Amino acid sequence: MHRGKGMKFVGDSRVPAERKPNIPKDYSEYPGKTEAFWPNFLLREWMVGAVFLIGFLVLTVAHPAPLERIADPTDSGYIPLPDWYFLFLYQLLKYEFAAGQYTVVGAVLMPGVAFGALLLVPWLDSGKERRPLKRPIASGLMMLGVASIIFLTWESVDEHDWEAAAQQGEIVDDVEVDETAEGYEIYQSQESCIGCHGGDMLGGAAGPNIFESDYDKDAVMDIIINGADGMPADQFEGSDEELETLAEFIANDGQDPNGDDE
Amino acid sequence: MLQKVYDWVDERLDITPLWRDIADHEVPEHVNPAHHFSAFVYCFGGLTFFVVVIQILSGMFLTMYYVPDIIHAYESVYYLQNEVTHGLIVRGMHHWGASLVIVMMFLHTLRVFFTGSYKKPRELNWVVGVLLFFVILGLGFTGYLLPWDMKAYFATVVGLEIAESAPVIGGFARTLLAGGEIIGAQTLARFFAIHVFFLPGALLGLLGAHFFMIRKQGISGPL
Amino acid sequence: MSEKKHRVSRRQFLTYTLTGVGGFMAAGMLSPMVRMALDPALEATGDSEFVAVGLGEDELTEEPQIVNFELEIEDAWYTSEQPRSAWIYKDGDEIIALSPICTHLGCTVNWDANEDYPEQFFCPCHFGRFERDGTNVAGTPPTRPLDVYDVEVRDGMIYLGQINQRS
Repeated sequence: MHRGKGMKFVGDSRVPAERKPNIPKDYSEYPGKTEAFWPNFLLREWMVGAVFLIGFLVLTVAHPAPLERIADPTDSGYIPLPDWYFLFLYQLLKYEFAAGQYTVVGAVLMPGVAFGALLLVPWLDSGKERRPLKRPIASGLMMLGVASIIFLTWESVDEHDWEAAAQQGEIVDDVEVDETAEGYEIYQSQESCIGCHGGDMLGGAAGPNIFESDYDKDAVMDIIINGADGMPADQFEGSDEELETLAEFIANDGQDPNGDDE
Repeated sequence: MLQKVYDWVDERLDITPLWRDIADHEVPEHVNPAHHFSAFVYCFGGLTFFVVVIQILSGMFLTMYYVPDIIHAYESVYYLQNEVTHGLIVRGMHHWGASLVIVMMFLHTLRVFFTGSYKKPRELNWVVGVLLFFVILGLGFTGYLLPWDMKAYFATVVGLEIAESAPVIGGFARTLLAGGEIIGAQTLARFFAIHVFFLPGALLGLLGAHFFMIRKQGISGPL
Repeated sequence: MSEKKHRVSRRQFLTYTLTGVGGFMAAGMLSPMVRMALDPALEATGDSEFVAVGLGEDELTEEPQIVNFELEIEDAWYTSEQPRSAWIYKDGDEIIALSPICTHLGCTVNWDANEDYPEQFFCPCHFGRFERDGTNVAGTPPTRPLDVYDVEVRDGMIYLGQINQRS
């Protein structure tokens, strides 16, 4: 910086009044071949960015962000899944050596050691050599870490039941079950129905929402008598008439088939 | 005209040196993919920053519609996604951007590692970079809860249980994050504050340090 | 020399391209976001529905009477009932429903409330006055007539719709 007497300033500020000539700095003594950041380098960088942006926008338009139904803390049947970048950690906690009484190992110890090591890499690998092949231990450990993250994520994705996951979070239209209907009363008297499909008929511990699928009366009766996949047969304990009323009620989307629709 | 405005400001504030510091410097040729195609690995850092910028902007716009309240959070997200023109795209940008930031950051970390760029004198910058990694994972974790849908809620339940399994401080950490015994209204408000104010503040500070150090030390030389 | 002035240097060319690419990126990134932010301003406001006010057509007289009713306001993800009121009277065969909001500063006007000004709507805040048909009395603060509701009669009951401004 220029110092000394006789310096002039803008008003009473500290900004020097004399403009210095705007000459680019001299970089010729810097190590290696160089080029200007602005505009040469930035142009290439931004062109890559522009292509990236186009791809990104295409992705967002083609695949809207998913939104499941509103959180219902009482739904204990929901199988949770973290976002994909936490899957490896989530998967780790499934293995015996990292679960149960050893949860501390999987939840704290292993990630702690891994990320701690990552943080301290410059001191763990303090040699001068930069080429990855010339420092096999550091490179090897990193490869191992990356491979295990990929493996754990893969295993987690593979084990997860994606179809069930897509179904369990679906936004369902509110079904207003007519609780005064005869069919509803019959349903309430059937312990085995409630056991799986829940007291509100909207799905429970083992069975789905009854009104989710569209069957007509005969198909519903057939399912109740003969069962369906995952649903045992002959669970209904009532008269044939009651069975018929219930089936009609279910086929009519939870409204009393004899009642007026307002 | 523009030149005159510039001169007027420059006379008062002497901004030319600032501009020189920010933009008028050199970059080694070996990081430019136009010279060696393999140099595209050096783009990952810049692209990570680009996605972070997208995240900040789209996040700012999303808060115009979003309310962090367990009764209305879901409905406001549903509204902005289904009723607001382009709301679907902006939420999509924030959603997919969150994943892309992680991917690009992961690739950037691998690039820095395998080119040995963290070695003397750049140790500190590596540490700041790993801290940035943690901050972004934290942003991902807290942001996941905000739509308050099934997925969000139960993922947070599991996440907080993992936090609880930590010895000694586990229970304390869990309560602190959840803002109470149950995961509910206070958790959502807390996660929102962390996601929108605390972590982005830390992110900007660390990013500033990251860039300052790069600018000061320059990009590491060719292998 | 003059020729040199017109030629674009390599550096200049790169700078132009750079700003072009930068502009493209900014536009691609920001346009959906800005459109989203502008949505409330660009959205066409739909006509609001007619609401029953609980008053029969035969109950109306030439004398304005106040009716209070509730209007369901849908505000994005929040629906609420908002109280509204109107001064309703019959003008020959026509039914007129005036909004009681003073067009000056939004106070509530009353019919025939001030002894000095009978048969007029009177606003207690700044003494604004309106004639029976809602026209503002010249020389008082309000500058335009009271707003009117759309009126419909269904099965002898009065239904009020949206509020219209008169110039």
